[in-house]
Amino acid sequence: MTRLSLFLGVAAFAATASAQAAELPAEIKQAGTLKLTVNSTYAPMEYRDPATSELVGLDIDLANELARRLSVKIVWSETPFAELIPSLQTKRADFIISGISDRASRRETADFIDYLTTGPQFFVLNEHEAKAAADLCGKKVGTTRSTSFPVEIEKWSKQNCEAAGKPAIQYVPGENSIDVRNQLKQGRIDAAVQGSETLPYAQGQEPGKYRVVGEPFAIGYQGIMFRKDDAVLREVVTEHLAAMIADGSYKKILDKFGLGANAVARPMMNAAPQ
Amino acid sequence: MRAAPTLAEGFPDLSQMQIAREIHWRRWLAAAAIIVVLVAIGRAFAAGQIEWSYVSRFLTAKVILQGIVNTMVMAVLAMALGIVLGVVVAIMRLSPNPVLKSVAAGYTWLFRGTPLILQLLLWFNLALVFPTIGIPGLWTARAVDVMTPFLAALLGLGINQGAYTSEVMRAGMLSVDAGQYEAAQAIGMGRLRALRRIILPQAMRVVIPPLGNEFIGMVKATSLASVIQYPEVLHNAENIYYANSRVIELLIVAGCWYLLVVSILTPLQMLLERRFARGTARINR
Repeated sequence: MTRLSLFLGVAAFAATASAQAAELPAEIKQAGTLKLTVNSTYAPMEYRDPATSELVGLDIDLANELARRLSVKIVWSETPFAELIPSLQTKRADFIISGISDRASRRETADFIDYLTTGPQFFVLNEHEAKAAADLCGKKVGTTRSTSFPVEIEKWSKQNCEAAGKPAIQYVPGENSIDVRNQLKQGRIDAAVQGSETLPYAQGQEPGKYRVVGEPFAIGYQGIMFRKDDAVLREVVTEHLAAMIADGSYKKILDKFGLGANAVARPMMNAAPQ
Repeated sequence: MRAAPTLAEGFPDLSQMQIAREIHWRRWLAAAAIIVVLVAIGRAFAAGQIEWSYVSRFLTAKVILQGIVNTMVMAVLAMALGIVLGVVVAIMRLSPNPVLKSVAAGYTWLFRGTPLILQLLLWFNLALVFPTIGIPGLWTARAVDVMTPFLAALLGLGINQGAYTSEVMRAGMLSVDAGQYEAAQAIGMGRLRALRRIILPQAMRVVIPPLGNEFIGMVKATSLASVIQYPEVLHNAENIYYANSRVIELLIVAGCWYLLVVSILTPLQMLLERRFARGTARINR
């Protein structure tokens, strides 16, 4: 906790005195490039624009703005969601900003700088009879198997279905969020779970197709993931992120994707409640 | 009786000399170099960031064992489907009937011409096109209840395999001498009967080595079914490392099982080859 409060102090200080910005690690500064890896199947956080095939999204815009302020170029690469953490560990990526939730289980291998609120959200096809989340007890619910959502569904089911004497949710694995939505359309599953920040986009793509059920059933944050031994880079990025929040450029990017409501007041380290 | 031949004057008698063993120093050198490299690799892995305790713990974990059983079930069933389709299509391909011929050629073209993973995804997502399937008036069902991950994987792998196997079978049938067909005809056998009694038994000898090859390929190709949620060994290993982030450890676990299975299959192929090679001279080739 002392580390966190110390850090918040640093961040607050940085926000007011960004002229004295910390230096990038020599290696990155020398190369002039930042190596970033994303899993581009998670619109609107990061995805390939269907028309231009360019990498776009909220994370992409945030990273580009950071890079502009750090005067470095970004070299993007892509990987399946499950390979994001290994990419960080093997230094294929300098840090990870790719719609990844700050989870205690992941903090063993990385530190998170939380920058966006999120939460797993149940949704169904519009014509489905489920009205409240509790209606999904005993039903088949699918989500991407490489995320933290399977564990969270199980936890929710224990507390809200089994504790109330109802049958548990039957979890069905999917490969990524598109696959999960396909399973939903085919009727392989009754409901699906995605991060709440990605649902407005999916609903915009297929208007009238999906309906959210209940509120996000856990509160969490998306975090930028850093290697544990990479405190220098972590603090530089945090400082600039704090500055972006302070001067409104952060909010502007969030608004562009209709996610202004998911803003955080300041970057926080490993702060997501579990 | 003639006296034993004696050496001419001036030639030394070599008959008593020992033959010295040649020292293959290049071989020794190569072997030593290889051992050094292997030891270095072994040491690197032993010292690397691998928690070997995870490997030994998960090697016999229940989900992994269930996974390898599912892998083998799928490999055997898909290969069986592939062989049945392969034989039928090869016979059609070699038939004088132009309709059968073009159907067979079209099948091979279609299923050999698209990637296996694409076909698996198509089968799995078929319900997007046909929400219900069935026989009109008799029986209908939701497509997703029929097209389970198991059936989607079986159809995807088996039908794709059939396209390849048909070519192996065709090669086997072509390898049987034309005189055998003619002789069968001469004693009044029909085409199918000649195939069954004369041609296919002889073709078997030729097709077993490539079929063994294909089957080993199939064992590993089942891992592609992980993307359509068939719980084979790689799928289950992935699920474990999604939760505990021990990527390399779990990949090693899955790798060990694949190697073990293939090591068992190789001598089985030898036995099968020997059986079908009865009656030919080159028995152990």
